[in-house]
Amino acid sequence: MIEAKGVFLRYSEGTMALKNINLKIEAGELIYITGPSGSGKTSLLKLFMGVEYPTEGALEVLGQSMNKNQYAKISQLRRSIGPVFQEFRLINGRTALENVILGMRFLDIPSGQLKVNAVNAIKKVGLEHKAHSLVENLSWGECQRIAIARAVARKPALILADEPTGNLDKDNALNILELLTSFKDKNTAVVITTHATHLIERDINARYIQMSKGSINYERLGIAINEETIL
Amino acid sequence: MKKLFYNLSYFIKEAKTTIKLNAMSNFFSFLSTGLIFFILAMVISGWWISNQVVAAIQGEAEISVYYVERIDNIGAAQLVERIKGIDGVRETRLVNESEAYRRMVEVLGKDARVLEYFDENPFSPFIEVKIQIEEMSAVLRELGTISGIDYVRDNREILDKIQNIAQILKVIGYLVITAVGITTLVIISHIIRMGINDNKEQINTLRLMGAPEGFIGFPFLLEGLTITIGGGVLASALAAVALNYVYAQVAGPLPFIPLPSREDLTSNLIVLIMSLSAVLGIAGSIFGLTSAKRN
Ligand SMILES: Nc1ncnc2c1ncn2[C@@H]1O[C@H](COP(=O)(O)OP(=O)(O)OP(=O)(O)O)[C@@H](O)[C@H]1O
Ligand SMILES: [Mg+2]
Repeated sequence: MIEAKGVFLRYSEGTMALKNINLKIEAGELIYITGPSGSGKTSLLKLFMGVEYPTEGALEVLGQSMNKNQYAKISQLRRSIGPVFQEFRLINGRTALENVILGMRFLDIPSGQLKVNAVNAIKKVGLEHKAHSLVENLSWGECQRIAIARAVARKPALILADEPTGNLDKDNALNILELLTSFKDKNTAVVITTHATHLIERDINARYIQMSKGSINYERLGIAINEETIL
Repeated sequence: MKKLFYNLSYFIKEAKTTIKLNAMSNFFSFLSTGLIFFILAMVISGWWISNQVVAAIQGEAEISVYYVERIDNIGAAQLVERIKGIDGVRETRLVNESEAYRRMVEVLGKDARVLEYFDENPFSPFIEVKIQIEEMSAVLRELGTISGIDYVRDNREILDKIQNIAQILKVIGYLVITAVGITTLVIISHIIRMGINDNKEQINTLRLMGAPEGFIGFPFLLEGLTITIGGGVLASALAAVALNYVYAQVAGPLPFIPLPSREDLTSNLIVLIMSLSAVLGIAGSIFGLTSAKRN
C-alpha cells in the first residue's frame, strides 16, 4: 500500500525534515506515528499525499510512485485517500453536510448516493444533529468529527489523520482515536499521527512508529511506545 | 461530462458565491463589458450599414442627364436616342417635369406638403440613363462630347464618399474589436484571479482531496461567462434601442437612403455580440485560471 525506500525530504529553504525513511504499510493496518513536535510526522503524511516529494529515495503510495511532474496521477491518487488535516480544512460558509458532500463530488460516486453516504458518515461520527450547522459554528471537537466524516465518506483505501487529538481534552481525544481506528478494515489502512502517546491504546493490532528529528527512531507491533520506552 | 452535469447546481452555487464575494468588482466588470460591447455594436452596425448603402447605390448604376432649356420635346427624344447609342448604356428614359414632381412627392411622403409652396413645378425634365457600372467613366466622357447637355448628375461622388466612410468604419471596426477583445480578456482574467485568490484556501483543500482542475475551475468559468454574457445582453439591448432611434431619425427625413432592414441588422448584431461575449468570457476565464495556477 505504501512503500518508502531510503526517503529523504529537504524543504526548499534547507530543513532536512525526513532522513532515510524505510517503511512499508499494508492494507488493513493501523499505524500510529508519534514523536515530538518538529520530528517530521506531518512531513511524512505530506509525502504520502503528494504535497511534497522525496528529495531522495523512492516512495510508492497505492501503486503510484511519488514523483514531481505527475500531478494528474497524484491528483487521481488523492481521490483514494481520506485526509484528516491537522487544521481540518473544512470550508467555511457551508454546513457540515455540504462539506462532507463536497469531498465526494469529484469521485466516482453516483449523484443519488452523495447525500446518503454523507449522512451515514455524519451519523457514524455522532453528529447528525449538527449536519445542517455551518462549520464555523461548530466546536473544535465537532469540527474534528466532521473532518473525519468527510474523509471516511470517500470510502478511501488510506485514511491519513494528522494530529486528530490536538486541542482536545482526554475524553474527547480518546473518542476521536476510537472513532478513527474503527474505520480500519481489510481494505483500508489508517495512519494516525499524534503527540499523545499516553492516550494510544495498547492495541495489539496496531503498529507504533516513533519519530525523532526526521528519522524513524523506533518501530514495533502491538505495544505502544511510551516516553520511557524510548529512553 | 456526466459529472459536470450532476454537479451543475453546485457549480452555479459556487459561481454565485464568488460573484457575491466581490459584488462591486463583478458589477463594474459587467457594466464596462456591456458598454464596450455596445461601442463595438455601434461601430459594426455603422460599417454594415455603409456597406449596404454602397452596394445599393452601386447596384443602381444610374445617372441623370439634364439638358439645356431650349431643347424641346422632340429634341429631347433625339437626345435620348443619341445617348442610347453610347457603349455601356443599357436603358434610357425621358422623365418629364410632372413625373419628376410625382417622384419627389413619393419620396417625401407626408413631407411633400413643402412642394405646395412653389407656384410652379420646380423640377426640370431629365433623361434617366441606366448604365453598366464598369463603363461609368467612358459613358461620362462620351456624354461630355454631346452638345445640348447642361449637366450630368452621377452618384459617383457620393458613392466614393460612402465607400470611404465604409472603409474607415471597417478599420475602426477592426481596431475596436481588438480593443474590446483585449479589454474583456484583461477584465475577466483579473476578476477570475481575484476570485481564485479569495478562495485560495478552499481551492487548496479541494486539490489536496484530489479534485480535478476542471472541477475547481468550472465555477470560475461560469463567473467569467456570467459577466460577459450579461455584458453582451446589456450591449444588445442598448444597441437595439439605439438602432431603433437611429432608424427613426434617418428613415423619416432621409427616406431615399437604402438602409438595410432594421430587424435583420439588429438580429445579426445580437448574434455577433452574444457569440463574441461567450468566446471572450471563456477565453478570459481560462486565461485567469491558468495565470493564477502559475503563481
Ligand atoms: N513547508 C515547510 N518549509 C520548510 N520547513 C518546514 C516546512 N514544513 C515543516 N518544516 C520543518 O520540517 C520539520 C518537520 O516538521 P513537521 O511539520 O513535519 O513536524 P511534526 O512532527 O508534524 O510537528 P508537530 O508535532 O508540531 O506537528 C520542522 O523542523 C519544520 O520546521
Ligand atoms: Mg504536524
